[in-house]
Amino acid sequence: MELDFSILSKFQYALRLGLWTTLKLTVICIVLGCALGFAVGLARTSRNIAVRAVSSAYVEFFRGTPVLVQLFWIFFCLPLMLGVELSNFTSGVVALTLYMGAITSETFRASLKSIGPEQFDACVALGLPRNVQVINVVLPQAVLRAIPTLLSNCVSLFKESALVSAVGMADLMFVGQNISNNTARPVEVLTVVALIYFVIAFPLTRAVSVIEARILRKLAI
Amino acid sequence: MAMSFSLPLVKMQALHKSYADGAIQVLKGIDIEMKPGERVVVIGPSGGGKSTLLRVMMGLEKIDSGSVTFDGKPYISSGVKESKTVIDMSVRRSIGMVFQHYTLFPHLNVLQNLTLAPCKVRGEAKAKAQDRAQTLLERFGLGAKAKAYPAQLSGGQKQRVAIARALMLDPKLMLFDEVTSALDPELVGEVEQVILQLAAQNMPMMIVTHDMWFARNIASRVIFCAGGVVVEDGPPEQVLGSPKEERTKEFIDRVFHINQ
Ligand SMILES: Nc1ncnc2c1ncn2[C@@H]1O[C@H](COP(=O)(O)OP(=O)(O)OP(=O)(O)O)[C@@H](O)[C@H]1O
Ligand SMILES: [Mg+2]
Repeated sequence: MELDFSILSKFQYALRLGLWTTLKLTVICIVLGCALGFAVGLARTSRNIAVRAVSSAYVEFFRGTPVLVQLFWIFFCLPLMLGVELSNFTSGVVALTLYMGAITSETFRASLKSIGPEQFDACVALGLPRNVQVINVVLPQAVLRAIPTLLSNCVSLFKESALVSAVGMADLMFVGQNISNNTARPVEVLTVVALIYFVIAFPLTRAVSVIEARILRKLAI
Repeated sequence: MAMSFSLPLVKMQALHKSYADGAIQVLKGIDIEMKPGERVVVIGPSGGGKSTLLRVMMGLEKIDSGSVTFDGKPYISSGVKESKTVIDMSVRRSIGMVFQHYTLFPHLNVLQNLTLAPCKVRGEAKAKAQDRAQTLLERFGLGAKAKAYPAQLSGGQKQRVAIARALMLDPKLMLFDEVTSALDPELVGEVEQVILQLAAQNMPMMIVTHDMWFARNIASRVIFCAGGVVVEDGPPEQVLGSPKEERTKEFIDRVFHINQ
């Protein structure tokens, strides 16, 4: 068979639009998902048993079901239950944020655990109020220790985001699939789509190890 | 005048403390009165409850029963309901503590470690807190380390920073729990010098240490604590030199034997 990559030049614009949707969706869900994940991570260490139960149930549910099922549920069932129409993009953001929140809460929980009890003793001895303890002592240390794993979580989300094509969102994967169907050139088109994902994800995975070494040196852990 | 002179700075009454829901009785009725300007060194065998005593004083542990007053004000008491400990937060703020394992904040540099509490707790202006911090660091021979992170400091330097950090809040009482135990022998001196410096300025303190040379030099009073009670209490010459109690004598002999 003969490969002809030149056909792709015609679809440059469409591919770029798809990539833009993928990136926008990923970045928004990273920001919202990390914030949610930190809050849930804290909630899971709470002394209140109800708070612990609810947050654990959420995490276990989202970790224990396929992302694709979660996506379908939020795209098709949530609007029925709420009685409101959600745009494709909003549904995608909700679904992937909930997924990301569950994943990163585990990352934050581990990093919160690694902060020794003597740090809390120091906070008490210095009379730091609870909110200062969380914002100035716990959060920065938890984030620093979590950064390498969080970056991996972000790369995973970026790749998992391709699933939204299954519910009709025009992301990079969706556009690629359409072009490949219309041109009957799946090898060229899907190879290029895979390469685009790889070119973005690979430097990030490499960055993880570099950043990890730096943070470990700084915190001497 | 005579009245305020006799007023104790700290008054512990019948302090009881246990861990694991009463399974491990650690403090079994501690009564200690400490006058202003006194430097009390607490010695005793491992597991005798010395750290627990200081942690209770810092408000880090609940108590089972008993009470502590500070400067004439109620500070710690066991509440009406069992397992409730009432701690007066404003009193707690006038007590500082340094721990065995330098508990500096690893993500903040030395200057930020020192200014965090004054700025956040007392609302002090950042520039003013930094000025005070720099002065304090210079006094402790750490002037050049203001921008360093804890991981870049030696154990002795870290411990001096920890002392400076506690002093930033102008405590009326300092608690030191084996602050030189984790240090290499050659770094012990620099930390003890800083504490001796504070002693020369009449800072009231309670010190737990296994270093008998330091105990002799810093103490205005020595308390031997074992099995959760005060066994002997007196001037350093007495308790360290010619103890009255048999248990104290045994302990002192053993420790001096190890130290030599
Ligand atoms: N958080 C805790 N939970 C349960 N038991 C504890 C706890 N902290 C201390 N203990 C126990 O209480 C007893 C007294 O401990 P503490 O640390 O006060 O002794 P110490 O006199 O400071 O000893 P050392 O000289 O070894 O530091 C020990 O038997 C210890 O095992
Ligand atoms: Mg101890």
